[in-house]
Amino acid sequence: MSTQQPVLQLQNLTRVHGAGATEVHALRGIDLAVYPGELVAVMGPSGSGKSTLLTIAGGLDTPSSGRVIVEDTDITTASVKELAALRRRSIGYVFQDYNLIPALTAAENVALPRELDGTSARKARVEAVAALEEMGLGHLADRFPDEMSGGQQQRVAIARALVGDRRLVLADEPTGALDSETGESVLALLRTRCDAGAAGVLVTHEPRFAAWADRVVFLRDGAIVDQTVRSEADSLLSGQVAEA
Amino acid sequence: MKTWFHSWRAAIRIARRDAWRSKGRSSLVLAMIALPILGVSALDLTYRSSELSPAERVERTIGAADARFRDAQVGGVPIFQDPTGDIHTPVKEYENEPWPSGATDVTKAIPAGSTVLTDSNASAKLTTTHGLLMTEVRELKASDPVARGIMTLLDGRFPEKNDEVMATSHFLESSGLSVGSTLSARNFDRPYRIVGSYELPDALGTDQVNALPGAFLAPYAKAVEKAGLPAPDTSLSYLVRKAGGFTWNTVKEINTKGVAVVSRAVMIDPPADSEVPLYQKDGWGNYQSSPAAGAAELASLATVVGLAMLEICLLAGPAFAVGARRSRRQLGLVGANGGARSHIRAIVLSGGLVIGIAAAVTGTVLALILTLLLQPVLESTMGQRFGAFDIRPLELLGIALLAVLTGLLAAIVPAVTASRQTVLASLTGRRGIRRSSRVLPLIGLAALLLGGAVALFGSTVSEQVTLVAAGSALAELGVVAMTPALVGLFGRTGRWLPLSPRLALRDAVRNRGRTAPAVAAVLAAVAGTVAVSTYMASREAQNRAEYEATLPYGVAAAFVQEEGGRDVPAVREAIQRQFPVDVRADVERVSVGKPGCPPWGGDPACGRYEVIVPRANECPLYASLPGGGDPSEKYTPEQRRKLVTEDWRCMDSASSGMYLSDGGLVVGDAKLLQVLGVDDPATVKALADGKIVSFNRALVQKNGTIAIKQITDIAAADKASEENRPAPGKVSSLPAYLVPGDQKSYGLQALMTPATAKAAGLSTVPMGVYVSTDRLPDSEQRQKLDGDLAKLGSNVELHLEEGFVNDNGIVLLSLAIFAGLVTIGAAGIATGLAQADAEADLKTLAAVGAPPRVRRTLSGFQCGVVAAMGVILGSAAGLLPAVGLRLTEERNQIRMYEQNVAEGWSGELTPPHVPIVVPWETLAGLLVAVPLGAALLAALVTRSRGALARRAAT
Amino acid sequence: MSIRHGLLALLERGPRYGSQLRTEFESRTGSTWPLNVGQVYTTLNRLERDGMVAQGGEDDAGHTLYAITDSGRTELRTWFEKPVDRTSPARDELAIKLAMAVGAPGVDIRAVIQSQRRHTVKAMQDYTRLKAQALLAVEGGGARERDDVAWLLVLEQLIFQTEAEARWLDHCESRLIRLSATAATGAPASAPAAPAAPAAPAAPAPPAAAPNGPTAPSTSIAPGTSIP
Repeated sequence: MSTQQPVLQLQNLTRVHGAGATEVHALRGIDLAVYPGELVAVMGPSGSGKSTLLTIAGGLDTPSSGRVIVEDTDITTASVKELAALRRRSIGYVFQDYNLIPALTAAENVALPRELDGTSARKARVEAVAALEEMGLGHLADRFPDEMSGGQQQRVAIARALVGDRRLVLADEPTGALDSETGESVLALLRTRCDAGAAGVLVTHEPRFAAWADRVVFLRDGAIVDQTVRSEADSLLSGQVAEA
Repeated sequence: MKTWFHSWRAAIRIARRDAWRSKGRSSLVLAMIALPILGVSALDLTYRSSELSPAERVERTIGAADARFRDAQVGGVPIFQDPTGDIHTPVKEYENEPWPSGATDVTKAIPAGSTVLTDSNASAKLTTTHGLLMTEVRELKASDPVARGIMTLLDGRFPEKNDEVMATSHFLESSGLSVGSTLSARNFDRPYRIVGSYELPDALGTDQVNALPGAFLAPYAKAVEKAGLPAPDTSLSYLVRKAGGFTWNTVKEINTKGVAVVSRAVMIDPPADSEVPLYQKDGWGNYQSSPAAGAAELASLATVVGLAMLEICLLAGPAFAVGARRSRRQLGLVGANGGARSHIRAIVLSGGLVIGIAAAVTGTVLALILTLLLQPVLESTMGQRFGAFDIRPLELLGIALLAVLTGLLAAIVPAVTASRQTVLASLTGRRGIRRSSRVLPLIGLAALLLGGAVALFGSTVSEQVTLVAAGSALAELGVVAMTPALVGLFGRTGRWLPLSPRLALRDAVRNRGRTAPAVAAVLAAVAGTVAVSTYMASREAQNRAEYEATLPYGVAAAFVQEEGGRDVPAVREAIQRQFPVDVRADVERVSVGKPGCPPWGGDPACGRYEVIVPRANECPLYASLPGGGDPSEKYTPEQRRKLVTEDWRCMDSASSGMYLSDGGLVVGDAKLLQVLGVDDPATVKALADGKIVSFNRALVQKNGTIAIKQITDIAAADKASEENRPAPGKVSSLPAYLVPGDQKSYGLQALMTPATAKAAGLSTVPMGVYVSTDRLPDSEQRQKLDGDLAKLGSNVELHLEEGFVNDNGIVLLSLAIFAGLVTIGAAGIATGLAQADAEADLKTLAAVGAPPRVRRTLSGFQCGVVAAMGVILGSAAGLLPAVGLRLTEERNQIRMYEQNVAEGWSGELTPPHVPIVVPWETLAGLLVAVPLGAALLAALVTRSRGALARRAAT
Repeated sequence: MSIRHGLLALLERGPRYGSQLRTEFESRTGSTWPLNVGQVYTTLNRLERDGMVAQGGEDDAGHTLYAITDSGRTELRTWFEKPVDRTSPARDELAIKLAMAVGAPGVDIRAVIQSQRRHTVKAMQDYTRLKAQALLAVEGGGARERDDVAWLLVLEQLIFQTEAEARWLDHCESRLIRLSATAATGAPASAPAAPAAPAAPAAPAPPAAAPNGPTAPSTSIAPGTSIP
């Protein structure tokens, strides 16, 4: 697996907000690579730079220095237009809440990036409905966001984040506005998508949700201080049983 | 191209659903755009439907005939005519010869084998249930197939017997008669029965009665003549039907016999201008349209449409701005999902597009429905039936496109603003202080300076009013563009205000995106109003200064010249009855010939008189020369100046005023002097002594008499005057008394008593009455009198001196009301948007314990702030062009005055006074009342209590 | 006490023999607390002594069957109804470790916290993975559904407990940071606990560290859970 090309690479990323007395180092020298099939959780206290990392990774913000490479494209040098195109084709976002455009149905929301990219409305819709059905959300296709629960909205947002050829999901506290059980279902879906080959970065401050990740990166004061690596799933117990 | 299309479709879908989700705001904008579209489309439909095709027009004028032949009244000499047959002139030039006149036998020009129908008409006074009505009586066999299409039978049937007539519905309405009633004419006691009603599709408002040929006019003329009155003029034409019709060549041939022809074939297929000999004649060009006039019309139309669109854009812009603002998160999401700036722009623009299209459809459909429903009303207002309901899809489409364009234009600025924001800022909802564009105010400043310079140049250097107007318009647009920056300046004044107004002002200044367009809309409307009001108020002041009374204040005078003053007693009585009469002075005039003659002759049996002005008393500048030519050219400007300023003969004040009769000669008694305010006892005594009292020195001969010449042979007199000889006639000289001093006599130049006239052998007929009133008759009294006079069916000249009446008052008032409404509307929109925007802030305010009325006062102040800013800026911007225009006018008039003085044309000693008057009432109303009213209104309609509970949901 | 009551709960559904009880117990708790047959029989003997179970014959294969008695049922009811006692908390090694680390010379308490956190989160990850499988199993349905649900609940208990620990660690860290900041401004000389910058695992893990790569499997259950 490690021989695969990473979907997202952050290289020596720094971001400084403001200047002079009000200078704030939001990120200091971040290096991170996310591989296909991997879900990486970024944890850290408030103000540790989690969200900044995510916005820079998705090209919504620009780093002060360092490089962000998404699928072989260095997005730090891309133009505004190219960045928009990249968001349509490569990067999917899921925010804490109000992810869906209220004026569009679930299917239309999912189809939106494709339509913006110039796919015909019908084709985009067929793809969107297929994506929704694959994630078990087919029954929501024609509902408007205000006719859906928060968890349903988030799941539709994940579907949208991964529609078409997009392989990178950037999720910023996707469960923040949800109760524990619903949040779980959203993460379970994200997990499934990553198991199916997508790469995901999840920013959260809840360890319970971070635990769904393959790797948890600990961020403090804008720097990665530690990370966990998931063990093989069954080893935990099988070892114990054997011991007992 | 294809991808572009697909992404736009997505944008339009979002915009459409968004518009649907915020119905209130959408319908507001929709109404704003749709209303003018509705009006213009309805106008277009009405115009196009009332505009007739040549075939329709021909049918309405000549029915089913092929041509209408009419005597050109030039004694049968060859004529040239235009293709419509409206204009004709003799072929020959008659420079120094008498113009040919007289009838010719039209029937000789009608080709053999044609079907002919005569169509003649004349006026007659018909008896109605109310009194008498001057009505056109037409003799045309309307039931004849040749005449079909000229008259539309509405009710009853066509007349079949000689004592049957039919009447237009308008006549029936105004006469109070109906089908089945009997009708007769004055001086003619033969009764006619009305058997039907009809209308003339081109002239619904005509009072006309139709009889069979020969059934009315001929016997009526005889009866009138028997009564001693001149017979009415009858105009006769022939409707001709002939196989093959009449081509232009045939028409030209018939023209050689002095007959004008309206030909169906020519009307439907008119000849080229080069084939119309009339147009080749000097000074007879085809005036129907000149390209320059067309261009000017187009330019002014474009300006009006452009300004209206600008105003609508300014009013609708904030709605889109707020729409874009409220869907910031949504736009941010689109951005996060790969929407490029062009996509964001497309979504906001689509909002304008969607509403524009909806407004276009609504406006056009409503216009169609309304025009269809109101067709009868429209037709009777225009006095004309529509030809066919004429829908011009291209024109309607063009008008509808204007709506779409307006919607798009209104959304442009919000779209650009929204697309400029970074996705991150949109998503996090950080409001920040948005810097408004720096370019726009700079462009505005440049436009202001340039426009101001042009206007200044126009008003000080050149005298071109258009230059001033164009400069002012440019400067005004500049101010509109600078509005955001100016609004920013207002923000500085907020520091020392109490909470609510401070919040309102800060909010307005911080949210310039929505404040500035509203302020600009108010500014534009107010500036226009102030400009026009100032200009009109100044004009009014000038008119008031230049006003000359026709009579002493409160005096009324009425004259009837026709039928030998037969209706004068009735008029006198009516005035006595309806007006609060103080003194009544009946007046008569000298008449020569039959008693029923009009004062200006006309009938061979009628004569006229002249008050002889002695040669020595004529102003040498105007005295006619034996050889012709302009007498004034004999003098140098110096001499002329001397004459007009010093020679009493040329100063010409006594002969000014209302025209009464020849030489201002009136027969009346001392009461007239009293009414006119002449209280000189010597004058009264002279009148009583049988002298002619003269107010005009020029009329008095050297021997102290006034000479009146009675001319009985008009033809001989006309010939003499053409040859510049005195007319033959009997001269009576009467002793005269010249009223001393400069007594104002209001057109009365000479007065004698009936006894004096009789003694001098002058016959008189009643002319009218002068009355002085106790108080100015009110509107009701005047209306009653008008009603009484109308029933007489006579032409009554009525004067009532009310002093200077400002006719523009209503215009000024409606302008001010218009500006007020726009102001309140724009401020209201801005406030509504501000309220929607500030809902969260208001909840916070409520949460920290602000009393509920803060919500109210805040919205009131928000509204007031927008209105006040717009009104202040607009007043300033509006005063300037008005002042500029007035200055230009002043320069123009002074230049003309100076030229007149230099050339010696004018005796005026004072230069023209062109005052500049600021309409303080209007201005005060706009500056104080309107913002106050707007604020109060907004405060009143705002709910005090917002839902605190819904704090979280946004 | 939980094995005792667990066995009673299993017996309430019908007589069982010893190894059968062990299997059922483990399938319900997902082998989180493994039992050996000896433990089962010791417990059964004690229960029999206390009159809560009674031997009730043999099955076809000759295993001795145990059945629950009325007093056993009463005991079981009482156990279900009585909340778990929290008045005498179990001794927690981590709490003691941190308490000792405060003020201990030469110990970077933030490094202690971080290494514990990494361990805790990693354990959570493992539990979560198991949970994801359990979730799939539950959704898949089937005969063992009841056991799967029970297993899921146990797993989630573990997850929430580890989460509590992780959060407690977060809290400790921010508390220590604040205290050290106050101390630094108040008395710069004595900065006892936490240096401002993390000392121990400052180097970020290299990206090449294979995410799913084989790492030493954790052989101990997360601290803080105790098996009676």
